[in-house]
Amino acid sequence: MEFGPHLLLATLEGAISAAVLALIAVGLSIVFGIMRVVNVAHGEFYMLGAVMAWWITSHVGGHPAIGFLLALIVAPIMVGSIAALADHLILRRINYDPERTIVATIGLLYVLQQLTLMTFGADARPVEAPFNMRIALPWFENGVDGWSMYWPWGLSTTTYKLAVIVAAVVVLVGLWLFMTRTRAGLIMRATQLNRDMALAHGIPVEKIYALVFGLGAGLAALASVLVVPIQQAHYLMGGDPLLLAFIVVIIGGLGSIPGTIVAAILIGMSDGIISVFFSPTLAKILATLLVAFVLIFRPQGLMGKPAK
Amino acid sequence: MLNVKNIEVAYDKVQVLFDVSFDVKSGEIFCLLGRNGAGKTTALKSIMGLLPLKTGSIQFDNQTLSTMAPYDVPKQGIAYVPQGRGLFSELTVAQNIEIGLMVKNSGAATRERVLDIFPRLRERLKQRADTLSGGEQQMLAMARALSMEPKLLLLDEPTEGLQPSIIKLIQDVIVNMKQAGVAIVLVEHHIETVLTIADRVAFVENGRCQKIAEINDLKNNPEEIHRYLGVN
Repeated sequence: MEFGPHLLLATLEGAISAAVLALIAVGLSIVFGIMRVVNVAHGEFYMLGAVMAWWITSHVGGHPAIGFLLALIVAPIMVGSIAALADHLILRRINYDPERTIVATIGLLYVLQQLTLMTFGADARPVEAPFNMRIALPWFENGVDGWSMYWPWGLSTTTYKLAVIVAAVVVLVGLWLFMTRTRAGLIMRATQLNRDMALAHGIPVEKIYALVFGLGAGLAALASVLVVPIQQAHYLMGGDPLLLAFIVVIIGGLGSIPGTIVAAILIGMSDGIISVFFSPTLAKILATLLVAFVLIFRPQGLMGKPAK
Repeated sequence: MLNVKNIEVAYDKVQVLFDVSFDVKSGEIFCLLGRNGAGKTTALKSIMGLLPLKTGSIQFDNQTLSTMAPYDVPKQGIAYVPQGRGLFSELTVAQNIEIGLMVKNSGAATRERVLDIFPRLRERLKQRADTLSGGEQQMLAMARALSMEPKLLLLDEPTEGLQPSIIKLIQDVIVNMKQAGVAIVLVEHHIETVLTIADRVAFVENGRCQKIAEINDLKNNPEEIHRYLGVN
């Protein structure tokens, strides 16, 4: 395949990575932004969403879309509820202390991972996409007769992959509207800005924290349900997305949702493109190097606020 | 109305308040006076439930505040304007006021009444709180507190760093609240303000309430102020 069509293919793969990564990283970012908790178990919530999606779809008969739609609704709610329970049982009891929550969420990571292994086994589990029509993509060339369109062999994608990008955009726009236009979003932002004054205005901060922790985990689970028909569900699948989500959140600026989305596009696209042209390992190496440079030259990230 | 009884408060192992007691009646302006670090702000935070008590109790309208969850305290009709204003800096003026209105689910009538008191805020409703001038920020902090329709108002240095015209406006608002029957606990370094509007004064020194005096007694005996605060 020529370079141009190959680049388009790589860009499409990158856009899918960016869309999924944006959902995962925004979940991590709102948890840090509002609760000041570095959730090391975030990748396991992503993994749980995928495993639950497999479990639900394998128990629901009929058209694959029925099981998938059910998984799309139930898995994020279940994972969000598990996260809210973890907040209640663990994080609240250590008073959301920044250092202790890191250790506690590392513990939670292993508990969730090993429980999944014990319950569902170590096999990678496939989930059938609800629809998966292949679409050939056109390319353009400037020949002797001027510009013309043609259909290069191998330049194609699937309707499902395009749907993942659209779904991620819809969820992110919905989240933005929720945070900026609703009463609940206003309460969350007030809690983020000044915890004590939120309490002094009747806001039950601990309940908001449980809600935020559940929302963050639910977004990670939603991302994994969307991606599991492309990849497979596996009890160790949370590691890579966690690393990339941390990279995105640091580059975007801790707690900044717009910065997180911009960084997710940057990292997701470069991850997709570099993985197609070179290797996924090189993509991870470059992303990690980028974080190092950001930490040296702009520690607050692209859109974060400098520490006072 | 407010009864603070023998409270002791500590930040971890450092005790800040020792056996502090006072009470405030409806329609009274009660002032806590003392040097920096005396424990005045700690007393206000304790009333709001933001700091736990080691011992003692705080009662308001026959309700024990000290055993309530902190977020239930404002729902009893207690509003707090902290030192430094405590605004939600990245929210707009309208959103800050809305947060205050949420406490009692107050509606547009309360909002309009508050904006009538501070008409300058009406022109800045869509402006972020952190872009306001110092005086406007203090107006917003007061407006947010008033939108909670409080029965008790806790004010921590509300005139700090303000120009005289804004100080006068804030004083007038405080006096109007008092006349409407609101009890006010005021932490204030501006002695003129204290002598102008307060009814009673508690001198706080090293975390202890050394003396509670009627304001008229202080006016007749200014060396008392000098003794506790080192000012004339």
